[in-house]
Amino acid sequence: MAISKWKTGLLAGLSVLALAAQANAGEVRVTVAEYSAKTGPYFQEVEKAFEAANPGVDVKFEVVPWDVLLQKLTTDITAGTNADLSIIGTRWLIDFVQQGVAEPLDGYITPDFKGRFIDTFLSPSIMDGKTYGLPIAASARAMYYNKELLEKAGVANPPATWAELKDAAAKIKALGGENYGFGLQGKEIETDVYYYYAMWSQGSEILDKDGTSGLDSPGAIEAAKLYKSLIDEGLTQPGVTSYAREDVQNLFKQGKVGMMITAPFLSNQIKEEAPKLKYGVAAIPAGPTGARGTYGVTDSIVMFSNSKNKDEAWKLLDFLFQTDWRAKFTQGEGFLPVNKEEAKMDYYVNNADLAAFTALLPDARFAPIIPGWEEVAQITSDAIQKVYLGEGDPEALLKEAAAKADGILKK
Amino acid sequence: MHNRALPYLLTLPSLILAAVVIFWPVVDLIQIATHDVSRFGQLRDFSGLDNFAALVADPDFIKALLRTGVWTAAVVGGALLVSIPVAVILNTDFYGRSLARVIVMLPWAVSLTMTAIVWRWALNGESGMLNSALRGLGLADHNIQWLASAATAFPMQIMIGILVTVPFTTTIFLGGLSSIPDDLYEAAALEGAGPVQQFRRITFPLLKPFVNIAIVLNTIYVFNSFPIIWVMTQGGPANSTDILVTHLYKLAFRIGKLGEASAVSLVMLAILLVFTAIYIRLAMRGERA
Repeated sequence: MAISKWKTGLLAGLSVLALAAQANAGEVRVTVAEYSAKTGPYFQEVEKAFEAANPGVDVKFEVVPWDVLLQKLTTDITAGTNADLSIIGTRWLIDFVQQGVAEPLDGYITPDFKGRFIDTFLSPSIMDGKTYGLPIAASARAMYYNKELLEKAGVANPPATWAELKDAAAKIKALGGENYGFGLQGKEIETDVYYYYAMWSQGSEILDKDGTSGLDSPGAIEAAKLYKSLIDEGLTQPGVTSYAREDVQNLFKQGKVGMMITAPFLSNQIKEEAPKLKYGVAAIPAGPTGARGTYGVTDSIVMFSNSKNKDEAWKLLDFLFQTDWRAKFTQGEGFLPVNKEEAKMDYYVNNADLAAFTALLPDARFAPIIPGWEEVAQITSDAIQKVYLGEGDPEALLKEAAAKADGILKK
Repeated sequence: MHNRALPYLLTLPSLILAAVVIFWPVVDLIQIATHDVSRFGQLRDFSGLDNFAALVADPDFIKALLRTGVWTAAVVGGALLVSIPVAVILNTDFYGRSLARVIVMLPWAVSLTMTAIVWRWALNGESGMLNSALRGLGLADHNIQWLASAATAFPMQIMIGILVTVPFTTTIFLGGLSSIPDDLYEAAALEGAGPVQQFRRITFPLLKPFVNIAIVLNTIYVFNSFPIIWVMTQGGPANSTDILVTHLYKLAFRIGKLGEASAVSLVMLAILLVFTAIYIRLAMRGERA
């Protein structure tokens, strides 16, 4: 009796498992990154609306914290239990494409559909002429400045060049007290990016035209010397290598920093945490030739090659990239619009902060699409931290880093 | 015959469990470490010891290896030096002893990650509590950037490591002290032995087995301890506070070199096995003598 009970239970359990493992016809599973507390509710709404419009299709969203997304995808793909669609960082896309995990979407994309996107944001997801992903989130960087501090220091306009920035920082330093001219990030994620802002303005690129590292170019060395001189002359906050992006943003919110470079979401944070702060957003300073660059980031939604319901999955993508649904998502998360129609909405046109970001887009650089990019970024961060710490001559340190990076790029 | 097989049969279930929980992952690790592995964990060609050779050729790995030695020795040694007097004091009878015991044990109740996050705030150069305390007391006239370079960050991390290791170590020693009969001390006192002599001749020798246990267990914990260093500096700046675990994490999850990361974890396992084996041998020989 007891044994037969066990058996029934076991069989019932097994059948449940079997049911769960078999993808139902018309089921679309989507892994999405949790950008904020608003992400989950947004996708729940999408699910309801889409299922109402497409009876017979069952959509399931799995919301995963950003930090563990790559780990989850790695294990899911290894085990063959991945979803039909997933959000990924576009800089990971090359790995997915090279391993044959991502499905090209060109068979589904009509010229009309393609026309919905702003080209700048779609192009990073195109590889070898094939579109492997659609940009679901986009962001860029610009310079925030503290209006009150600049005014007190006698600086009328936000600095437009690095020379002006250095000058303004010196004036802020002269005010005395715990005021720092330029907030310089020197720790954790995007430490390398913070250095690229100066490097791009000196006319150098992450990769030279021949595909080798640009870290040993004259512009790159000049940029490192510029930051080092800011540190040495006390024009940044002290101890830059202990400041991650959030730490510098906190200093800015406390009104202690004159200028810093970061993403649009700082505006949302200031609104909530430091509503009295008088700040503005301006372009990233230019170099002597007028060159400047900002960092563009997109996340893409990709379709997996082993998906069994590609047509239904595509329908969902088509649904997600309608202007209204895009606007709701972008505004909730504090990103930049990726749809042309969306970008024309009043919300974006009349928003001075966002306008500064979108104005910089023609100068936007995206993380280069190369295997091993994360390692090259790590090498760059390490080298630039050594420069900030004064552990050697900037030129020698950068040349050494460039040689290391070239070793990876050659593979 | 039947009787001789019985003990083995009885230990078999736990042996199987141990095999599944311990040996299987190790076998898996060996497989990954000896193959060329894709970013998604798919094994490609057998590569022999290539992954290990890549580690040895990497100066960051060698530095992390040496630093792990310093880290482990300093934290385990420091915790030992602090814990023995603390345990001896807590073992004596005084007013408010239970309260003191609770306070000493408290850091144990807080998760390691949380402790590290709080310290990261406390060591912040501009708004950190430690700097404002030092300046308030007149001990420093300017803010110290604790986490900006390894010269200050690493000693601080070691100090925090000691702080969180003390409760566990003290607990072991308190157990040891309560096993020492009081009449030994009474007899010694009658013979005219002072407190220092009592400690050297009675307490310390009888506590020795517990010290050995504390050393072995703490070495294993501290050697593998990830949160303190990761939360405070992520092994930076420029890898100057990396220990093997943080180095491994970066290799695996930042850069996607699963093969080399597996090799690091095998090296760590080997070091711990060798250390434990040698230490237990030495300690047991000492006890027999």
